Amino acid sequence: MNPVWMSQLWAVMRLELKKSFFNRRSFWIYLLALAPVLIFAGHALEVSTKKERRASLAARNTGVTAEKMRQVRRGMTMDEVSKLLGPPAEKIATSRRQGVERQNWLYSDGRSELRVYFADEEVRGTNFRGACSFGEDTIVFSAVYQFFFLRLMVFFGCVFVFINLFRGEMLDKSLHYYLLAPLRREIVVGGKFLAGLLATSVIFASSVALQFLILNLHFEPQVVEQYMGQGNGWHHLMSYLGVTVLACLGYGTVFLTAGMFLRNPLIPAVAIEVWESINGILPAMLRKFSVIYYLRSLTPVEVPIDRGVPPPIAMLAMNVDPAPGWAAVLGLLAVSGAMLFIAARSARGLQINYGAEG
Amino acid sequence: MAVYKRSYKSYAGPMTAEWSRFWIIPRFAWAGLFKQRLLTILYVICFFYPLGAALVIYFNSNMSFLRQYVPVPDKLLDIGNSFFFAFTTVQSGLGFILTALIGPGLISPDLMNNALPLYFCRPLSRTGYVVGKMTVIAALLSLITWIPGLMLFGLQASLADQAWWNANAYLAGSIFFSSLLWIMVISVMALALSAWVKWKVVAGGLMLVVMFVGAALGEMVREIARSDMGRYLDLGYNMARVWSSMFRIVEDTGSITLEESIAVVLAYSAVCVLLLMKKVRAFEVVR
Repeated sequence: MNPVWMSQLWAVMRLELKKSFFNRRSFWIYLLALAPVLIFAGHALEVSTKKERRASLAARNTGVTAEKMRQVRRGMTMDEVSKLLGPPAEKIATSRRQGVERQNWLYSDGRSELRVYFADEEVRGTNFRGACSFGEDTIVFSAVYQFFFLRLMVFFGCVFVFINLFRGEMLDKSLHYYLLAPLRREIVVGGKFLAGLLATSVIFASSVALQFLILNLHFEPQVVEQYMGQGNGWHHLMSYLGVTVLACLGYGTVFLTAGMFLRNPLIPAVAIEVWESINGILPAMLRKFSVIYYLRSLTPVEVPIDRGVPPPIAMLAMNVDPAPGWAAVLGLLAVSGAMLFIAARSARGLQINYGAEG
Repeated sequence: MAVYKRSYKSYAGPMTAEWSRFWIIPRFAWAGLFKQRLLTILYVICFFYPLGAALVIYFNSNMSFLRQYVPVPDKLLDIGNSFFFAFTTVQSGLGFILTALIGPGLISPDLMNNALPLYFCRPLSRTGYVVGKMTVIAALLSLITWIPGLMLFGLQASLADQAWWNANAYLAGSIFFSSLLWIMVISVMALALSAWVKWKVVAGGLMLVVMFVGAALGEMVREIARSDMGRYLDLGYNMARVWSSMFRIVEDTGSITLEESIAVVLAYSAVCVLLLMKKVRAFEVVR
């Protein structure tokens, strides 16, 4: 490669990195990436603080099990609840407002907890907090990662960053500086793309690493050591990080190209989101023309689909006939390469009309 | 008249009634909206489902006509609360996409070009301005939600017997109020985002983010903390919960009560109204 091109590429990348990381519009990306970390942190904190309290409650609730607690339904009377679960470990509040007597009862089996809200001796609401175990939490992490983090957080993050690379410059009326500079249009596209990829990869991969760390915080150190040292802990972590980077690459090239052709990013974003969501029910041939198919094939922990899972979630979870690892990586690289090529070619004929934007 | 004799005279012509001044905003906005080809196409698509539903209702009551040509059962399907609930859900979903396209462009250009003082130096209040902008969305959404819904209800009522009417008369109110609630909520959300995010493209994207990512965060909390509290973040779920009760559809909804769902919907709307009114002012402080 021509050394001048390399230095130009680096110059464009340097300029764009600053924008991608510190632009006011990037604020949303940090929020998206941080949200799951905060949820995991809240859960870890809650479990750690409530462990001893639940144990003491369970001592007063002999015979109470999670299955029994799940049977409490709205409309049941106090007597029916007492008959099913016995006397509560704690009556949290008893108040009389507007002639209605309200009581909150608390039950626990040591691991899970049930709060029952009574009004006039009738169940008006329940809040069941299930127990967590290391194995179950590993599956929960994988489910959250596949169904929510990849499909929504990384997806919308890439929509913002990559469509912004060209569309944002149009809105700021600053794209002409690049187009007037003596450098190839492909270099501009390449530099912008690499900056976007680096920014999204760093932000979302850091988020995954933090989530993984926090997930393991509230378990016994021996269990975590065993998982990381003798189990598949490191392999899982590296796989999640790798898949995140590949997701940024895949979605990044798709949205970079969309940003070159379409003025309104809503249309490609919605269309691609729908396409990715129905991937599980598409014919085998069509399934390969999506990013999520390859990403799901590479995730280290398979999420089992229960019979009780609602159909929309079951559709998201379905990954019939996943691609082998090497084919998934190659397939994703091929799709991304093709997209980047289209974007670079179309940049050659790029013309701007700031008047049409707003 | 000589130029030196021309001095200020107040307007002496007929005045527009104060309550109807906001109409000027939607009148001009509608004229501009349908110049966008994509919006026109989407709006036309929004009428396909009501048309299909009308055909289903008609054939459902005239199966003997169909039976002359093809062997069919006595009834295609049961036209009742589930049918109209599905209609409202589909049309509201389409309405949301339509709002994501229309809404962000309503206030952001005024703010971006410092045009609000030009509105408010005329006899138009802040409320009038917001109501005018909301009317742009509300009228378009009404045409695809409760108006065709009530027409379908009327069609079914005219074709069905008295027993159907006695059992389902409440559905007219359900269709109207559920659509109205949805229209109000998504209109204020679109206007608030449009007021706070100056780039309409980004504001449109944010509408999707609020809806999809809110639902995703809610599910994440449910999965990770094993608690239904996450549902509070999911506006779509809470709205569906309120609709279900309006349409008298019984389903197991976990530990979130109807009152809590109503509170969530109202809280979302209140926050949007607050954000909106904070931004819509006759002046802007430029630091």
